[in-house]
Amino acid sequence: MTPSGSLLVAEGLRKTYGPTTALDGADFSIHPGEVVAVMGPSGSGKSTLLHCLAGIVPPDAGSIRYDGREMATMNDAQRSALRRSEFGFVFQFGQLVPELTCVENVALPLRLNGTSRKAAERTALSWMERLEVDGIGKKRPGEVSGGQGQRVAVARALVTGPRVLFADEPTGALDSLNGERVMELLTDAARSTNAAVVLVTHEARVAAYSDREIVVRDGKSRDMERVV
Amino acid sequence: MGAGFAFTGRGGWVRAVLTAVGVGLGVALLLLTTALPSALDARHEREQARTDFTFSQTVPPKTDATLLVANVGTTFRHEDIRGRELEPEGPKAPLPPGVDKLPAPGEMIVSPKLKALLESPDGKLLRERLSDRIVGTIAEPGLVGSAELAFYRGGEDLASKLDNGRVVRIERFGEPIQGTSDPWDPVLILLVLVVFVVLLMPVGVFVAAAVRFGGEGRDRRLAALRLVGSDSGMTRRVAAGEALAGSVLGLVFGIGFFLIGRQIAGRMEVFEVSVFPSYLNPSPALAALVAVTVPAAAVLVTLFALRGVVIEPLGVVRTAKPRRRRLWWRLLLPIGGLAMLAPMIGQGSDGGDFNQYLVIGGVMLLLIGITALLPWIVETAVARLGSGPVAWQLAVRRLQLSSGTAARTVNGIAVAVAGAIALQMLFAGVEDDFTEVTPYDETRIQMQVSIPEGMPPAQAAADFRRTEGVRKVYAYSEGYVGEKRTDPDFSTQVTVGDCAALREVAKLPSCRDGDVFAVSGAEYDTDTSDMAKPGRTLYFDPSYEDGHEGTETPWTLPAVKRAEAAVDMTGSERGGLLVTPKALPAATTKSLGGQVYLRLDESVPDVYDLVRNTAAAINPLSDPMLWVSSQRSERYDSIRTGLFVGATCVLALIGASLLVSQLEQLRERRKLLSALVAFGTRRRTLGLSVLWQTTIPIVLGLTLASVVGLTLGVVLLKMTATGLSVDWASLLAMIGIGAGVVLLVTLLSLPPLLRLMRPEGLRTE
Repeated sequence: MTPSGSLLVAEGLRKTYGPTTALDGADFSIHPGEVVAVMGPSGSGKSTLLHCLAGIVPPDAGSIRYDGREMATMNDAQRSALRRSEFGFVFQFGQLVPELTCVENVALPLRLNGTSRKAAERTALSWMERLEVDGIGKKRPGEVSGGQGQRVAVARALVTGPRVLFADEPTGALDSLNGERVMELLTDAARSTNAAVVLVTHEARVAAYSDREIVVRDGKSRDMERVV
Repeated sequence: MGAGFAFTGRGGWVRAVLTAVGVGLGVALLLLTTALPSALDARHEREQARTDFTFSQTVPPKTDATLLVANVGTTFRHEDIRGRELEPEGPKAPLPPGVDKLPAPGEMIVSPKLKALLESPDGKLLRERLSDRIVGTIAEPGLVGSAELAFYRGGEDLASKLDNGRVVRIERFGEPIQGTSDPWDPVLILLVLVVFVVLLMPVGVFVAAAVRFGGEGRDRRLAALRLVGSDSGMTRRVAAGEALAGSVLGLVFGIGFFLIGRQIAGRMEVFEVSVFPSYLNPSPALAALVAVTVPAAAVLVTLFALRGVVIEPLGVVRTAKPRRRRLWWRLLLPIGGLAMLAPMIGQGSDGGDFNQYLVIGGVMLLLIGITALLPWIVETAVARLGSGPVAWQLAVRRLQLSSGTAARTVNGIAVAVAGAIALQMLFAGVEDDFTEVTPYDETRIQMQVSIPEGMPPAQAAADFRRTEGVRKVYAYSEGYVGEKRTDPDFSTQVTVGDCAALREVAKLPSCRDGDVFAVSGAEYDTDTSDMAKPGRTLYFDPSYEDGHEGTETPWTLPAVKRAEAAVDMTGSERGGLLVTPKALPAATTKSLGGQVYLRLDESVPDVYDLVRNTAAAINPLSDPMLWVSSQRSERYDSIRTGLFVGATCVLALIGASLLVSQLEQLRERRKLLSALVAFGTRRRTLGLSVLWQTTIPIVLGLTLASVVGLTLGVVLLKMTATGLSVDWASLLAMIGIGAGVVLLVTLLSLPPLLRLMRPEGLRTE
């Protein structure tokens, strides 16, 4: 794998949580518009790799460069600003604010960036329309189905026009039909905006939506040759 | 099964312990309250057991079983020290409680607290006054409280001072008090009742809130039960079992906290009240009531809380839109409370006792009314709040979704503040009735010291002039003269002092040593003008048929000048004869008692104690008086002290409860907080959102508390037939204290909030 032209590059990442080694020299790179699936069994370090790449958790060792900038040199506020403006996130659980309506949830990242409420909600609604959940804008997350909630989460992740979308088991809580629909919408939307997607999953069915797969095992990563 | 759930897994234990700590704190406070009557009784019994007053008019004869006791109590800084000088008149003289052997002259037995004080650098000044050798300590039976300052010291020649009022002869300690004590003023009883209700209500509210800790997690567990086939009745029983288990653990914690608190209480002194741990024995009946009521209340509160929740097999999340709260039954509570109090309006102190049940019921209903009304008010108000910045929006939406949780959080504070406002109004309203304004002019004189008979005041005055901090000394000898040796028909007061001193008590035309002035026209003076005839012989300290044998010292009146009465430093117009020292024969000295009035430089540190030390050196039995412009009824003061002690405990408890519930809420939102931070939400935004989330209900709660507090205050004042007045400064202070507690709790919850916002919260493995 050559990092040349890559948007996000990580080399030799190490991360331990107490006695547990989560990452042990993992490498990663992704180009703009590319969808990369990070696969591996439970506890292999997939989510930790995603958290490190997104600047959520600093690695103990190794380097992460985003758009040529070394993330280790950024302070917490700079990393937060980066996540707000350049990255988008979709998690499996607990990501939508239960007290906000769906449209307010989608508009939230824009509002955090200083966009006015009306403008933010207008943009949010257009994304919700794209993800086929525009009819539930006024409902709260607790009042919608899991699939609808996850599509709202995808809309929220894409609303700021991120250059990288991080998705951690985005369909883990959905049935296969809903899961596939969410993946279709997610990858289509990302490709249409040329956003790179880091997709953490343990399901081959989900990984099939990616352009490339890497496998994380015992904290180490390696590229998979895809058999076509 | 419910009990099993309460302690299943790490999360279960954390929740159970949080609930138990909350309930335990409430239980401990309730047990403390049930122990108060026994503590008061114990203090009273101890006081009674060491009584050394004699209630008979005649002094008992000296025997080998009598003891002379002189009251040599004193004050150090602002603390009273109980002191007695003891002189046995025979080998069988009684021993005071807590003392094995009577101290000999020059020896002293002291309380542990006084010993510590005297041995500390802080007590150096007091050591000058209490310089006897310490030969022992007073044991617990001889003290009313662990922090009491008390001493017994050996005395000599006390028999010669038997008639001065500070020395008595007793045959035993603890002579039972004859007759019945003064009945309590109904208004004071009303104050006690209201203080109790106002202090205990927030504790009840707190216990109710504590059993609902972990409510969201519990709802999820119950949903899982529904999934495996539990019907709604079974689910509720499981929830009740879980609450019961938590509250029973809370009872155990409460007993533990109480036992620990009991030991700590033995080492504490609050507003000059201290107790021994042995005093704090809860009354068995009341303790049993607490043991039954708390778990029962826990179950009831849980079932009541579940009333509006539909637990479905797939969770409770689909009940996100709770049904709207109804106002009508919530209004019934305060209206019912007012209806119970209404019949007693206008009764005052003269209308007989207040009906205790109506008072307790009425005040309770009004205060419970807050807890019922507040959720409705919060729900209604936040539903109308519009969008704003992200922090505001997050807070408002959160409140709109679960206004009940927010209202519960501030219920305790709101009840406490409402009660405090009402009590403050009641105290301020009736304060005048229990405050006696003294006539003393504090601006002229700050202390007064009596000089023993026979001692020339000039000598004492010289000693005081040498005392640091004393600016002016006015010394007077005072006595009475009659126109006959025995049973005089006329008598008048004689005040002896130098010209400067006499000018302080009357307007003199001119003055030099040897002059005598007659002041006529003063209050209560009718005889002076008849008696003040030059050349007439008057008799100091005449004898009376009723048994008083005076010295009957004759004095022939020299030329008499006229003087005009003026208000003296004691606030009265002094009449009679004003005499300069040279105008009196030396023989009259023994018939006069002396008073020294002192003007002090109050900026001198410990000036009062410097004066007390000088006074004790002049006369160990002296009792220097610090002048105050007003003094309040002791009972009124002790109720007020009780309120402050209780309010401090309640506010600390409520603060702790707020903090626990805040942390619990944050813990339940840990994953969400981490997700919000992951996509770049500023920590400041989330911190502000938590602050708004607390501030909005607190503002609403304190507004309601002010309205209810003012209403209750007005009703109570009308009940005591006292004029209405609102002390706005106190009201704002109460609201400020309530708000301060909430802000403090919010500040304390910020570090855990920041910790919970760490991205590690996203980890699932």
